[in-house]
Amino acid sequence: MFKKILVPVVGSEADIETVKLACRLAKKDKGKVWAVSVVAIKRALPLDAEIDSEIKKAEEILDKVESVAEEEDYEVETDVLQARDVGPAIVDEAVERGVSLILMGIKYKRSFGQFSMGNVVPYVLKNSPCPVILYQQ
Amino acid sequence: MSALGLTPPVLMVSGIIFLCTALTYAEGATMLPEAGGSGAFAFRAFNPWVSFVASWVLMLDYIVTMSISAFTAVSYLGYYIPVLKDWPMNSLGGIAVVGFLVFINIRGVQTSSRFNIVLVFIDVITQISIAVLGVLLIINLPQLVHNIHWGVAPTMNQLLFGISISMIAYTGIETVSNLGSEARHPEKSIPWAVILVFLMVITLWTLLSMTALSAYPVYQNAEGHWVTDLTQRFLHDPILGIVNVMPLSIRPILSFCVVFLAFTILVIATNAGMLGASRLAYFMGQREQLPGVISKVSSRARVPANAIIIFSIIASGLIATGRITLLADLYAFGAVLAYTTAHASIIALRVKEPNLPRPFKIPFNIRIRNREIPVTAIIGGLATFVTWFIVVYTHAIGRIVGFAWLGIGLLIYYAYKRRKRRLAAQR
Repeated sequence: MFKKILVPVVGSEADIETVKLACRLAKKDKGKVWAVSVVAIKRALPLDAEIDSEIKKAEEILDKVESVAEEEDYEVETDVLQARDVGPAIVDEAVERGVSLILMGIKYKRSFGQFSMGNVVPYVLKNSPCPVILYQQ
Repeated sequence: MSALGLTPPVLMVSGIIFLCTALTYAEGATMLPEAGGSGAFAFRAFNPWVSFVASWVLMLDYIVTMSISAFTAVSYLGYYIPVLKDWPMNSLGGIAVVGFLVFINIRGVQTSSRFNIVLVFIDVITQISIAVLGVLLIINLPQLVHNIHWGVAPTMNQLLFGISISMIAYTGIETVSNLGSEARHPEKSIPWAVILVFLMVITLWTLLSMTALSAYPVYQNAEGHWVTDLTQRFLHDPILGIVNVMPLSIRPILSFCVVFLAFTILVIATNAGMLGASRLAYFMGQREQLPGVISKVSSRARVPANAIIIFSIIASGLIATGRITLLADLYAFGAVLAYTTAHASIIALRVKEPNLPRPFKIPFNIRIRNREIPVTAIIGGLATFVTWFIVVYTHAIGRIVGFAWLGIGLLIYYAYKRRKRRLAAQR
């Protein structure tokens, strides 16, 4: 059912369970899993600017994702993306790769005393070209 | 101000020069979609020194954009808070705007693209409304003809300088080019963006200048100078001058719209100048044209914080002078030289690298030694160079400050290159 799964990761604990879930779902159909970490570039810099500290951080997150996938005996493809906004970058990637599912992990967060999903998740839910599954830690 | 009664045709002439420039930038930005604009074209076409000159004068333009926009933003507020109309309060207000934006950019508060688009949309609608009202109620063709006193008002010098200074109306072409790398389909969106900017600016500003000159005729003052009341009374907020002659019933609402929108849009323009300077500083740093201490990306703020602070201090210094004519001179000095470099680079690349992929290729070419040379780049290059020469020749302060900026920049670049060479030799 889900042959191409996109997993955006941010380095949170929820990522681990999300990647495990993605591997299990993909295994059934011998599907493919892509994990992407998005580096948001501020408008004060060109989009292709190389911010070493951010890229290193993103690569560390993706290394962790690969080791989690290995534990699940599955292989994931990883990529660091650079974008102005994280939400549109995830949706564009999903469109470009023609994925059949976006699987995202979210943390329980409160903003001004209310449960909040931030900006990225609502954007992806609203604009995704495919089904989206949220995994809340 | 300089072109007096000939302002509308002057805007059209500079519009034609701009169209040639726009085509050059469309080809350059789609061919080399990276930050840096004319500096990036020159880097590829010539050498790092030419690229440095193009980038450094462009940096001056971004700084002046910050200064002009922040200063005039506060001047518009002076409509409701009169104390902000006069020096030094208008300068202090402008410096406060710059300081606020430095804080925002370094702290990393995200600006909303959608909010900016909505504001620009409302601003364009307001300007179109004023232009339409001008056509319906104010524009008076016999008066426009009466405003022209051939050879006297404007004089030939004033006319030529008017052409050069009117280039400021076409600010934005470098920004389109700088953001070319971010477009999904630069080959389509960049040519469209520059053509739309051209059509919008030439139509609106020709109509607005015709309205202004119909309402504020050119006359000879007590000292014998030819002037118009628009520049005597509304130099810092000319659109309000036009609103001031609209029917009394709609004046309050139009004034409110103009003041609110002008302030907001000019603050956004100040920020655009700051972001442009910051991106250009990064571009120059990557090409070893600026010392790392200026161009480096702060690990905490994740922006070139030092560049933002240094160039904002210079912009504040210019605002402190409170002289908008000096800012206009400096802008013309930098912009026109950058445009000339861009034209020369595009022609040079057609000769040196004819097979470089060009998603958008300028039409109307002539063949010289089996190379296609774009006619518009030749016309634009010559026109912008002549315009730059006029700016340098006719405006002493612009010339002194402009060349001082260029000289200081070249000294820094030379010293930096020498130091790098010495360090490399020691290794």
